[in-house]
Formats: sequence, structure tokens, C-alpha cells
Amino acid sequence: MNETDPNRETFEEFKKSFSYGSRNDLNFKFLAGLSDEEAARFLQQLLWKLGDALNDGQWGRIVEHVIEGQVQGYSGPPRYTYDHGPFVNPSKSLSEAKLTLITSSGHFVAGDDPRPFGIENMSQEEAVRRINDFLKAEPVLSVIPKDTPAPELRVRHGGYDIRGPLADPNAAFPLEHLRELEREGSFGELAEETYSFVGACAQTRLLKHSGPQWVEMLKQRAVDIALLVPV
Amino acid sequence: MCHVSVGHLARLLEEEGIATVIIAVKAFEKRLEAMLPPRVLITRHPMGRPIGPPGDRKHQKLVIEAALELFETAETGGTIRELPEGYSI
Repeated sequence: MNETDPNRETFEEFKKSFSYGSRNDLNFKFLAGLSDEEAARFLQQLLWKLGDALNDGQWGRIVEHVIEGQVQGYSGPPRYTYDHGPFVNPSKSLSEAKLTLITSSGHFVAGDDPRPFGIENMSQEEAVRRINDFLKAEPVLSVIPKDTPAPELRVRHGGYDIRGPLADPNAAFPLEHLRELEREGSFGELAEETYSFVGACAQTRLLKHSGPQWVEMLKQRAVDIALLVPV
Repeated sequence: MCHVSVGHLARLLEEEGIATVIIAVKAFEKRLEAMLPPRVLITRHPMGRPIGPPGDRKHQKLVIEAALELFETAETGGTIRELPEGYSI
């Protein structure tokens, strides 16, 4: 391979390969959205900071650099902008409120696979390959009973690196903490059901169809407040 | 797109009288802000770990407690608070 090789990879192709390409890495898919100069600077500084950390063991600078890169990667114009936002005061005080948890992290309970596109036991790799199908599909809400033991939780989501919640579900689906805080009296009660869905989904269908159905279901279950966690 | 889905869900819930708090990583702050969600707790964490580092139960619990506090302290829509404690491994 040399400068005149027509198959020679350009820097633009290199940075885009991290976003659903040959080097797919969902922690760093934002590289595809940076200019060549920005992406080059991110990588150069990452390596430089790694060199510092090899000497003093201060890995916090690497964490901070990754966060700054992700912030930069998501700093473009928002796709949805509203000039009015609904707001209600909680219908009950926190000490009396029934709370539920809804995350877009793609969690479900073992044995209750939401079977995206009719496929049982879809692998994480296939979910990543089919991200564009997910983005066109109506989201499916998985019910996760409040007493579900952590080892019974499964996670699959083609839009982010699931290794965090694979190592510890509480990194994105904090059910154990909510059970503990309920016991400690930090809020009234945890609803019998908590929920998760794959947030990479069709927005119009979420807004017009599934979302209103979910809200109606929560009202029927007398939920007062909801903790929401995107990933 | 996850943050957009949750931003939309927060708006739907709030319109029907269910108060919400979103816990989101720093990278999503600007895009969520544009959606005017009711209450947001921003965590300065890498994407995919909004509640905290795997296994760090102390920090994870701190995040949840700060989010619960927002139910009681937020007075207007579009309230965004950032947790001062960062992500340490």
C-alpha cells in the first residue's frame, strides 16, 4: 500500500470506521462526527495523556478526556427543539410518592426477551448491525418486576457500549439502589413494575403511539413520579 | 437517540401529571436542554454509565439521591443540575 494505492484508507474513513464500521466502538462513535482536525487532536491528546498516566497512575485525566470528546461529539445542532416544556409538581410528597424507573438502556428479564423483529436471543452484535432497523421501529417496553434479582437482568442495545451495565446493571439500570432507598424510606414506595426499552427507536411512533400507551398504563398503576435514564 | 426518546417520554409523562427526573450524562446536556425537559440531573460520566462506574455503589447511590432531591427542589421546567462529584475509577 502506498500514496497512490486507490484502496488506501483516508483519515476520514478511519475516524468513520468507529461508528458502525470496521472498527466499531460505540464509546468512540462520536469521532465520525468530528472534523478531521478535531478527531486528530482528540487522539493525539489521548495518547499524550496515556503517557502521563503511565508515569503517575492518574487515570482520571483519561476519563475526563473521553467525556470531553463525547461532549464535543454531541455539540452539533439538536434534532428536536421545543420552546415550551410541560412541568407539574409531584402529586404527592416524596415520602408518600409511588416511584417507577424507566430506562432506554435495553434491559429485560431473562426468559422475557422482547424479541426484536421476531428474533429470539438476538446477539448484541446483531443488534449493532441492525441499528438502522431499530431506529425505524416502534419501541417495545420490557416490564422488569421490582424484585428481579440483578443476575436475572439481561441487556441488549445496538446504540451504546453495553459493557458498563454488563459488568454491573446498576451503572444504567439502578434497580438495586431503588430497592435499598425504598427500604430506607427515601421515597414512598417503588412501584411493582419498572421498565426498560431500546431508546434507539422511531420518534414519531414513540410520541404518537407507544409513549401515550405507556403513560396511560402508569396512570392506571397509580405511579406518581418516574425516574428516567437514557444511555 | 436514546436521550431524545427519554426527553420525549418525560414530556408525555409530565403532560399527564406524572413528574419526572432524567439522569443523563454530560454529552447529552445540550441536546436535552433544547427539548426543555422538566428536570434533569447531569452526571459527568462517560456515555453508557449514567448512574456511575460499575461496582461503585457509593457513587451510584449518591446519583440517585441527588435525582430524588430534584423532585422536591425543582420549581420550574427546564431545571438542569449537574452533580458536582465526577466519575472516578
